[in-house]
Amino acid sequence: MILLRSALAGGFMGTIVMTTLMSAAGEMGVTRMDFPLLLGTTVTDSRRKAKAIGYVFHFLLGLGFALLYALCLAAVGRSTWWLGALIGAVQAIFTSTVLVNVLLPVVHPRIGTPNSGANEITLLESPGFLMLNYGRNTFLVTFVAHVAYGAIVGWAIRI
Amino acid sequence: MSRRYLPDTNLLETTFRTASGLVRVVDALTLPDETLEPMRELARSISGAEGRVRMRWRFAPRFEYGLRDPECGWRGPVPVATCGANAVALSHWGAGEPQWADGALTAEFDIAAGERSLLVLSIAHGEPLVMPARGDVERRLDETASFWREWTGSRQYEGPWRDAVLRSALVLRAFIFAPSGASVAAPTTSLPEQVGGERNWDYRFCWIRDSNFMIDALLELGCYDEARALFWWFMQATALTEPELHVLYRLDGGVASPEREVPIAGYRGSRPVRIGNSAIEQLQLDMYGALLETAWLYSEGHRRLDRDTGGVLGRVADHVCRIWRQPDAGVWEVRNGPFHFTHSKVMCWTALDRSIRLAERGELPNRSVDKWKRERAAVGAFIEERCWSDRLGSYTRSAGDELLDASLLMLPTVGYGDPRGPRINGTIDAVIRALRQGEFVYRYRAEDGVRGHEGAFVNCSFWLVAALARAGRTAEASELMNRLVARANDVGLYAEEIDPCTGAFLGNFPQALVHLALVDAAVALRDATAEAAR
Repeated sequence: MILLRSALAGGFMGTIVMTTLMSAAGEMGVTRMDFPLLLGTTVTDSRRKAKAIGYVFHFLLGLGFALLYALCLAAVGRSTWWLGALIGAVQAIFTSTVLVNVLLPVVHPRIGTPNSGANEITLLESPGFLMLNYGRNTFLVTFVAHVAYGAIVGWAIRI
Repeated sequence: MSRRYLPDTNLLETTFRTASGLVRVVDALTLPDETLEPMRELARSISGAEGRVRMRWRFAPRFEYGLRDPECGWRGPVPVATCGANAVALSHWGAGEPQWADGALTAEFDIAAGERSLLVLSIAHGEPLVMPARGDVERRLDETASFWREWTGSRQYEGPWRDAVLRSALVLRAFIFAPSGASVAAPTTSLPEQVGGERNWDYRFCWIRDSNFMIDALLELGCYDEARALFWWFMQATALTEPELHVLYRLDGGVASPEREVPIAGYRGSRPVRIGNSAIEQLQLDMYGALLETAWLYSEGHRRLDRDTGGVLGRVADHVCRIWRQPDAGVWEVRNGPFHFTHSKVMCWTALDRSIRLAERGELPNRSVDKWKRERAAVGAFIEERCWSDRLGSYTRSAGDELLDASLLMLPTVGYGDPRGPRINGTIDAVIRALRQGEFVYRYRAEDGVRGHEGAFVNCSFWLVAALARAGRTAEASELMNRLVARANDVGLYAEEIDPCTGAFLGNFPQALVHLALVDAAVALRDATAEAAR
């Protein structure tokens, strides 16, 4: 039970920090990546609603991934901030390559791929490898944000 | 080639006639709907009307005033250009096969009668680009045209020069920044007042000075929602600094950025190109009058001020009592001042006068009314004694001088003095003698701290029309109004200034103050003509 509670608490804190870092990077013009918009448009074509729904999705994913982190760390038998950061780094690479470019287009009705046009329905710009279509520093921002998330989750989890 | 706005809209239609046929091009900033539309969208629809015409187009995106090179590439078949947090995509249908070369996109295509091509510029800031579907763009184009037609159809103005007034209304409505309700003075920066000169300013801000003209025009035209939004925007923006006011604010309500110069060539070599406006650092007393006049007009429009707003305005009025004796930079924002400008003093008088009236209605706290009355009388005495010239038979530009200034034409507009009395009529005649050239009126003939010369400010000419109308000189006013309306460009727009010798437009374009002055002049003439007929 302590594992579950600590994972959720870490996920809560980590998601707040990760979301804040990514939002700040967007505001500073470092990247055009907007995860809430990307996630929210999986279920609605309303721009206004998509951002709100996307934030909720992102938050729930943050909690869900914290539970996965807890399982991994429990299997290892210890939990430290740097182990969490390590998993966060792996997740950042997975997210920036496979998740947004391979898996997301399968379930997302409104996201482009490198080969898609925009003739039939309105599409969001494809992220591209390492999400570089959204700006040269996008991967760096994603990486740092996920490492920070992982470090917080790893620090919070009690095995 | 000819241009027009589609009737009662802000959709611009350009018609090209060639030896082989005729093509119509419609440009529109589409309005957002409740779908996944681009953050901003500029659509260009190309329709073949007769024969077959070879078309060529070029798209050369520039970011940050052209100081940074964009990254040009493709997302599938859609060309994109990105730079930091900004990105643009150019979706195209039936408009050739574009290719990037030297930072520009070019293509050629043929269009025959009955065919339609589409170019759509999607703009993103801090988010992924949205590549619209053709059907969605065409729907938004239709909805945008319908919106403007309905909006124009709801305007209440009936009177002479209706077409010019409604075109001005459409321009002014397009100047309103929808998220905040603020209105931009002009959408451009550094279009020169003298080609090749240094009188190049950034007008992409909201001036308090324009507020009373804007509210007055919006209410006159029946734009109650827009008037309400603008008034509350002003109250929100000024709440951060009250009782002191800034001269201008960003459209989001923030304090405007400081003036800086951008190292680029400028329009026809006119340097410097300025970003930001240092007028924000000046003391300009007239804006206090503008704000209180705005509140009065808003209240007169049967929209009662709440207690907190009344409290803020009361503190502003108290502040005016403390500062009206100071010299300032005036309505023209001169850079060799400060001076005791007559117009500024009149606007201080206006601020106190409107405060007293609002307090008497119970919309401002009445604890300072006696002080406001004393100070209003003191300002009036100052104007009548120090700002009047027996030799000229006119009010003067500033206390103690013998110069004239077109801002004096605004005295009857704010209700200072008898609009048909000898002092106002004498001032009108003196301004005409000193500053009028043809249908144009220079703002002054004096040093202002900036090198070079300038054209005639078009709003001054419309101010003259309004002053003549309010003085009962309707024949003179009508004749001048007709000549001025004919000076608009081919689609009814005005720049800040016109060169009286060549008729060329100068300065930022189009300019809100000119279109506001046009509406005020038309309304003043309509009312004066109706009064004369009674």
